[in-house]
Amino acid sequence: MMFRYEIKKVFSKKSSKIAILLLLIVVIITCWFATDVFFVNENGEKKTGYAAVRQLRKAQKEWAGVLDEEKLRQVIEENNRINATPEANSKKLTDQEIAYGWTQGIYELRNLLNCSYGEDFCSYDYYRADDLSTEDAGAFYENRIMLLKNWLSDDGKYLFSDAEKKYLIKQYESLETPFGYDYMKGWTQVLEYAPTIIMVGMLILGFLVAGIFSSEFSWKSDAIFFSTVYGRNKAVAAKIKAGLSIVTVIYWAAILLYSTIVLVYLGIDGAACPIQADFSGWKCFYNIQIWQVYLLTVVGGYVGCLFISLLTMFISAKTKSAVLAVMLPFVLIFLPSFLGNIESPVINKILGLLPDRLLQVSTALTYFDLYKLGNKVMGAIPILFVLYGILAIFLLPILYHEYRCKQIN
Amino acid sequence: MELKIIEVSKNFESITALDKVSYTLKKGVYGLLGVNGAGKTTLMRILCTLLKPSSGSVTWNGHDIFAMDGKYRNLLGYLPQDFGYYPDFTVYDYLMYIASIKGLPPFVAKQRTDTLLAQVGLAKDKNKKMKKLSGGMKRRAGIAQAMLNKPQILILDEPTAGLDPNERIRFRNLISELSEERIVLLSTHIVSDIEFVANEILLMQNGQIKMSGTGEEIVCSMPEKVWNCKIPKPLVDSYLKKYKVSNIKNLHEGAELRILSANQPTEDAILETPSLEDVFLYYFGEKAGADDVQI
Ligand SMILES: Nc1ncnc2c1ncn2[C@@H]1O[C@H](COP(=O)(O)OP(=O)(O)O)[C@@H](O)[C@H]1O
Ligand SMILES: [Mg+2]
Repeated sequence: MMFRYEIKKVFSKKSSKIAILLLLIVVIITCWFATDVFFVNENGEKKTGYAAVRQLRKAQKEWAGVLDEEKLRQVIEENNRINATPEANSKKLTDQEIAYGWTQGIYELRNLLNCSYGEDFCSYDYYRADDLSTEDAGAFYENRIMLLKNWLSDDGKYLFSDAEKKYLIKQYESLETPFGYDYMKGWTQVLEYAPTIIMVGMLILGFLVAGIFSSEFSWKSDAIFFSTVYGRNKAVAAKIKAGLSIVTVIYWAAILLYSTIVLVYLGIDGAACPIQADFSGWKCFYNIQIWQVYLLTVVGGYVGCLFISLLTMFISAKTKSAVLAVMLPFVLIFLPSFLGNIESPVINKILGLLPDRLLQVSTALTYFDLYKLGNKVMGAIPILFVLYGILAIFLLPILYHEYRCKQIN
Repeated sequence: MELKIIEVSKNFESITALDKVSYTLKKGVYGLLGVNGAGKTTLMRILCTLLKPSSGSVTWNGHDIFAMDGKYRNLLGYLPQDFGYYPDFTVYDYLMYIASIKGLPPFVAKQRTDTLLAQVGLAKDKNKKMKKLSGGMKRRAGIAQAMLNKPQILILDEPTAGLDPNERIRFRNLISELSEERIVLLSTHIVSDIEFVANEILLMQNGQIKMSGTGEEIVCSMPEKVWNCKIPKPLVDSYLKKYKVSNIKNLHEGAELRILSANQPTEDAILETPSLEDVFLYYFGEKAGADDVQI
């Protein structure tokens, strides 16, 4: 009963209903962006829509399979074949479009070649793949490790300790090769826009839960609330439960809606490919598969949202002000991106462990944030999960105690 | 049934809102009378465990009320001075919610809510939103929520403030209806609110209970007499300055003053029976509020 009415208090506000509507709109718009995939057909015409998705999938599926030396040789061969066609060398725009159309099947693989055979670790040359010959195919996986090593002994020298360098190289070397490749547009698109959904979701969740504790004061209903038998125990617990339920239900509803739309539309192929099979994850030192990246992203987002929401509720309880509470998620999400412009190893170490990273795990996975625990070097991601999971649990009794001991004057 | 206030003081930084208040409340209606700022609300908040006293303690049947925690609050019904509610809840939902945090099982809550809605005359407004109610209706909803758990201690902080005269009379009747078998503590700065309902009146001033007793006892305790005299217009001002005047009636050729004084102020002054209003003036040096302009 108490719980039901707590929820009702939140959603009886018009602003809460508007916030939910806003979230729905954001999800739909994001889905629209995430599913905006094009395909250039044999006439050089750019097509969008579901037909384009199916054609792209068909084209890339032809190259699915283990990415061994033979397959890589074929990719290079195909790329060179296309480059040698009159269309590719034509000055006419439509011809160039037609030639581009042919590369779509190997487009993602071509990007991987650009990465692997790049001049150095940090550069990316879009035309690098065009200079390759079939003999180069063998060095594909070794290059990845070699470029890292070169970088670590050169430009990256002072960025990492010896233990960290060793850890990175070990992680690179333990990537299982040759790995499988598949069409994975569904996953890469879902992951690309997931942080948007999660962050906007967090802001809206913060808005919804910010009032749960402070509204009693702004409504002046606090005096009656705290003078009832459950006002300093069960009714407080009901508030926390209501906050957690709102976060849980709305978060997962938004994520499921978004993921389902994008994945059904673009397909779930390639779930078992390693993150390195997509060029955005090529340098990633976590050796995990795409479906794991997805899972980490959405679960990380949930842990992050839980933590930030609980902190928001705590501020709302502590300061009796929803305005201050609502600002917290904004600060936690936007402040790090300002600080990120400062080039300082210490600040970067701190930034790597801020809760906003949990809202964008798919991006954070590609950052080289390393921490030493005891004599073990670790990436930031597992630390973030444990750290904020524990902090969220710790916040529960603190929040409860803070509110139950409130005095009214 | 004994609520004992023992040497309770409350300071807000430099302000002493309550100054060593001691009093014992037993079954009956108590009227807490005092001007704004006297400390009525502060005392009531302490009795509702909303505020901790700076020193002193309050016990219920010998147990400290703060230590009793939920057990004590279970006995409590409270209508605060600034009565806040959930604006978008219907009256029914509002009462059902308060019933839930008062620990009433849903079935009982429904029954109590319906009974009380009928009793306070809101039965047909039960599906109206709280924010759509008039001031008087809100106050009645407030009384209803205070009564949900059949409290043994009912604390009403200025329950008639802001009500029009009809609502006020209605409210007084409602309170005397509800006052059986419990302790009712009712605060006001309006004498007529409690003159007839309260078994005992506590006069509060500057955080202290200056005087207490039945209305009659309090009236008898006043050392000064009450006079009624007609004063010609030019002299009215000087009389107002010289004496405590509890009432002025403008007449054609002057004014009829009700004066508090030990000695007869004029030769033709007529001795009157003192009322509680006169006593209020005597002790507080200002006129008892007849309306709410001063809130
Ligand atoms: N929260 C507070 N902070 C500071 N002073 C307060 C607070 N609450 C009450 N006071 C002061 O305590 C005194 C008593 O106030 P109050 O109990 O509200 O009186 P009443 O209800 O009789 O009008 C007043 O002087 C008031 O200004
Ligand atoms: Mg008051």
